[in-house]
Amino acid sequence: MFRIPSRLLAALALVALTAFVAACGSSSDKSSGSASKQQGAPTKGKKGGKLTQLGASDVDFLDPGQTYYTGGFQVIYATQTPLYAPKPGEADAVPALASGPPELSSDKKSVTVTLKKGIKFAPPVNREIQAKDIKYAFERAFTKNVPNQYTTYFSFIEGAPAKPTSSPQDIKGIVIDPKDPYKITFKLTKAQAPGFAAFLIMPVTSPVPREYAAKFDKQSPSTYNENVVASGPYMVANNAAGKDTGYKAGKSITLVRNPNWDASKDFRPAYLDEIDLRTNATDSNVSGRQVLQGQNLVLDTNPPAQVLKRVVQRQKDQLTTLPGGGFRWFPLNMTIKPLDNINVRKAILAAFDRTAAIKARGGSFVGIPGTHFIPPGIGGFDEAGGKKGPGFDFLANPKGDLAVATKYMKAGGFASGKYTGSDELLMVTANVDPGKAQAEVAKAQLEKLGFKIRLRTVPQDAVYTEWCQQPAKKVAICGSAGWFKDYNDPQSMLEPTFKGSNISKEGGNNNLAQLNNPKIDKAMDDAALLEGDQRNQAWGEIDKMITEQAPAVPFIWDNTNLIHAKNVNAVGNAYMNSYDFAFSSIK
Amino acid sequence: MSTGTTELLGAEGPVQETGIVDGKQVTALSPLQLFWRRLRRDKVAMVALIIVVLAILVAIFAPLIVKATGAPQPNVQNPDLLDDFGSPSGPTAHDWLGVDQRGRDVFSRVVYGTRISLLVAFLSTIIVVVIGVVLGLIAGYYRGWVDSLLTRAMDVMLAFPVLLLAIGLGVACADGCLNNTIKPGLTVVVTVIALSLWPYMARIVRGQVLSLREKEFVEAARSLGASNSRIIFREILPNLVAPIIVYGTILIPQVILFEAALSFLGIGIEPGTPSWGSMISDAVGVFDIAWWFMTFPGLALLLVVLAFNLVGDGLQDALNPRTAK
Amino acid sequence: MATYIIRRLLWTVLLLWVVSGITFIVFNVLPSADPALLRAGRRAEPEILKGIRETFGLDRPLIVQYLDYIKHVFLQFDFGRSYRNDVDVRSQLLDRLPNTIYLIIGAVIVWLTVGLSVGMISAVKRGSFLDRFSMTTALVAISAPVYWLGLVVLYLFSKDIGRFPLLPGSGAFQDNTDIFHKIEALIMPWCVLATAFAAIYARLLRANLLEVLGEDYIRTARAKGVSERRVIFHHGMRSALTPIVTVLGLDVGILVGGAILTESVFNIPGIGRLTYDAIQRGDIITVQGATLFLALAVCLCNLLVDVMYSVLDPRVRLS
Repeated sequence: MFRIPSRLLAALALVALTAFVAACGSSSDKSSGSASKQQGAPTKGKKGGKLTQLGASDVDFLDPGQTYYTGGFQVIYATQTPLYAPKPGEADAVPALASGPPELSSDKKSVTVTLKKGIKFAPPVNREIQAKDIKYAFERAFTKNVPNQYTTYFSFIEGAPAKPTSSPQDIKGIVIDPKDPYKITFKLTKAQAPGFAAFLIMPVTSPVPREYAAKFDKQSPSTYNENVVASGPYMVANNAAGKDTGYKAGKSITLVRNPNWDASKDFRPAYLDEIDLRTNATDSNVSGRQVLQGQNLVLDTNPPAQVLKRVVQRQKDQLTTLPGGGFRWFPLNMTIKPLDNINVRKAILAAFDRTAAIKARGGSFVGIPGTHFIPPGIGGFDEAGGKKGPGFDFLANPKGDLAVATKYMKAGGFASGKYTGSDELLMVTANVDPGKAQAEVAKAQLEKLGFKIRLRTVPQDAVYTEWCQQPAKKVAICGSAGWFKDYNDPQSMLEPTFKGSNISKEGGNNNLAQLNNPKIDKAMDDAALLEGDQRNQAWGEIDKMITEQAPAVPFIWDNTNLIHAKNVNAVGNAYMNSYDFAFSSIK
Repeated sequence: MSTGTTELLGAEGPVQETGIVDGKQVTALSPLQLFWRRLRRDKVAMVALIIVVLAILVAIFAPLIVKATGAPQPNVQNPDLLDDFGSPSGPTAHDWLGVDQRGRDVFSRVVYGTRISLLVAFLSTIIVVVIGVVLGLIAGYYRGWVDSLLTRAMDVMLAFPVLLLAIGLGVACADGCLNNTIKPGLTVVVTVIALSLWPYMARIVRGQVLSLREKEFVEAARSLGASNSRIIFREILPNLVAPIIVYGTILIPQVILFEAALSFLGIGIEPGTPSWGSMISDAVGVFDIAWWFMTFPGLALLLVVLAFNLVGDGLQDALNPRTAK
Repeated sequence: MATYIIRRLLWTVLLLWVVSGITFIVFNVLPSADPALLRAGRRAEPEILKGIRETFGLDRPLIVQYLDYIKHVFLQFDFGRSYRNDVDVRSQLLDRLPNTIYLIIGAVIVWLTVGLSVGMISAVKRGSFLDRFSMTTALVAISAPVYWLGLVVLYLFSKDIGRFPLLPGSGAFQDNTDIFHKIEALIMPWCVLATAFAAIYARLLRANLLEVLGEDYIRTARAKGVSERRVIFHHGMRSALTPIVTVLGLDVGILVGGAILTESVFNIPGIGRLTYDAIQRGDIITVQGATLFLALAVCLCNLLVDVMYSVLDPRVRLS
């Protein structure tokens, strides 16, 4: 479940971002460089066969209007045809249900998408998909029966309800061309069309047939989740009434071919005949071993260290490495004493053995020590100093340097070079590894300098929502924080996480360190308007400015490691940090 | 805690039936003296007692032991002892029992683990005994509605899935609860254990009191006009001391296992604290390649629990010679 | 008889009601995970939270929520739906229950077989080497934590990682679908779970048997020249087994939840494992439902024992 902390949030929080432009127009798109073997254009596979994915946890939702985690995404992009979709090996979204790129009005206040003709819903609906099904998908997302995380990003559609409605309401800003039932236009209240266009890759843009779904959406909460109708190459096995009999909560999900799917209209090859997602394989050590020895198997997430070790040493051809496209860091909450002291923070960074924390996550194959924040493969990485970093002495040695730390502690007013105060710092982390493991290391690293740490472990999902993102909880150090890209743009990496004006005291705060530096904010505002090389240069500089403030220990730029059985031609998809069922095949 | 219940209930059975407490037959020796004399003859129990005393000494002098042996401190993480994948290395001259997956010395963690185990064991047992004796006495002596109420309360507690209740409380009180009367960490563990186990003690005491209050010497005291409190404290309580010690001792190993089970499930004690249960729990991910990490805390746990069980057995036999070997 | 059972049933209902109250307090009144936050996921904005609270009725007074919960539990046997993924708690519990039952039944058979035979032999051969050896072994077995024993056995004998690969390892139970493989996969968990119980039952039976064999009527039987075998089986075991039945009933009830440790080590998707995972995720309503469900199991087992007792021994009914 820890696969993509805030990855989506990173992208979605940035409503003003000109993402589409940035992704297409950026001349320094380096993502393909860091891609591994199966990241490139997928080779042609053999048709047929059944693939089983072993996983420890269930999907959050099958309902495209609700799902928000990797597991759900993996199913959605195999069973649905949203307006746009990610394609393995390509950084940009490709049109899926849409017939081409979105058309943006010149005032950047409306986005028009034309749908492909002849794409049909799976049984039991069996009819052609039209623009009204997209409109309904949006409208239902605003009801309280379909609680989800998406509406706030679409809230600037003209006429969008300010509050969750009790039943789907007509949104006048979503207009279907009266002459063309395949043409849909989103009218926005703000000039945010480029950003809005980029978000049309989200699962929520999958079509939902009103005449079928309405009865489920009347329930509170909606039961469409158990009766989802597919629009992609696969579908959750269902019965004649549409009930998803292939979904056994906490156990398994069976995907079968959608008989109404037309290969000629889709970019997905869909080689496999059947996909079985086991969601009750709770011991990832056991599942990992099974995948390595077995047939037709893949693992749903990063394997545990022991399994990774074996695969790297003996079965390297069964490993798929995707660029994580993110950074993990230990934010030092600057509102809490003594972390408000910049020299103390620098001392902490200097003393911190980042390689130890990396070992706690599984060692050097899971990633490299961070020296600043923008991760490899994202624009601005080289400009900020590349792997070597911007060259500050407190981040020079990845194994930590006590001499430098002592120097800064002294500069920070602690003559002995150790912290001598009595304040206890609260560190919150997940109750499972690797979150727990890395925080234990961090605790020991801070204790080297005399800090007193109280380590609190909480359920994975609560780490952010209930603790780290709630400034009122006074979490000094978030023990398992990570930030991951949606597309290649440095702004989406740094702005939500370090912009002072983004601090939200009431909760939902993503600037975990609460870095509030007007100069940095100003530089961000300026850099947001830039494009191309200038843009990367500017954000690289901002990265340096942030790093100089030592608001966090940037400890790892990580990879996503996935493993598959020998006979599986498994294709990873960096967008969802998992294997792509619609592209993988059996050898 | 799948083992605790029957053991305690089973212990209750035969004792109640035989009526216990031979105290009144012997005039020269007090019940306790007699008790000790019988115990001393039990060689196994005496060996176990020595192990128990040793364990207590280890717990008290843990820092000295670690220092004297030159082992690293229990919370010192040495990432250099981990390979490139973060796998721990086995026993060496430097780390006698190997290191764990954070590069911490297993030996010194096992030594320090004694502290948590015994501290929790003694604290919880004392609380359980106090609550159990007070409530058991009240219920058994006064009977009537007080008894019904307390028995019902015990029934409710016994019907509770104890481990789940403990987990629930452990999670709920992880940041302290009830206006911080229950503080996070050790207090939660002790509270949780005490709450889950008192009914067993109370039941046993109640049963004893019920039979004691019908004995001739109590009748005699009552006919002489002794007050209730005098009867309770002068006549009944002294006769309860031996069984209380026995059941207290039987309780201790159960509590140790309980605490270890809670730690194993990640409840209560702060992560990183050397505790045998959490060490075993941490070892689950790597036990196939790091046998030492799983083995030694488990052996320590086994040894100490066994020693307490043997002592408890000896005490029970001494209290109850009819069923003894 | 009928009135006795009815009275007991009423008491069980009352008991469950109290248990539900305590459970509700523990999980809802004491500080703990906020279900609305859990449901909201990463975007916990006040507006969204409010919507969720309204949808799930979390904005109502606690007492109303409690009564509502109780009403559903008692009238419809409905334990609510997980705030996390909206899955029906009852169906999850019922789905997992068979696995726990397989585990328990097998373990009970193992421990009764081993425990009772060892206990009887020990009692008969009291003081012999065999007696002392088995009683010492029993005490070791009682002292070993079940999860640790599980790991040790897996390390030694499991097919995937064992030094002496003999039996299917952790996770094999849920990976296999046919019954024979499932049984094979359960051999280790059965033995591990049964170890401590076998030891307890052996000790218990031995103690009971020794006591019974000391009774006058046994001496009389012996004096009359009844064969030793008949004395032990016909007279001794009969009365020595009665208390064992009580304890067995209680143990089985408690084990429905108490097998959590064995289930986690061997990856058996039973009720214990479900609860454990729910705790890890902070999925309170599932934990709450499981606790109540398990309390029900304990109560039913108690009830069964009591009824059996009153059938076996009419004197009990009077008290």
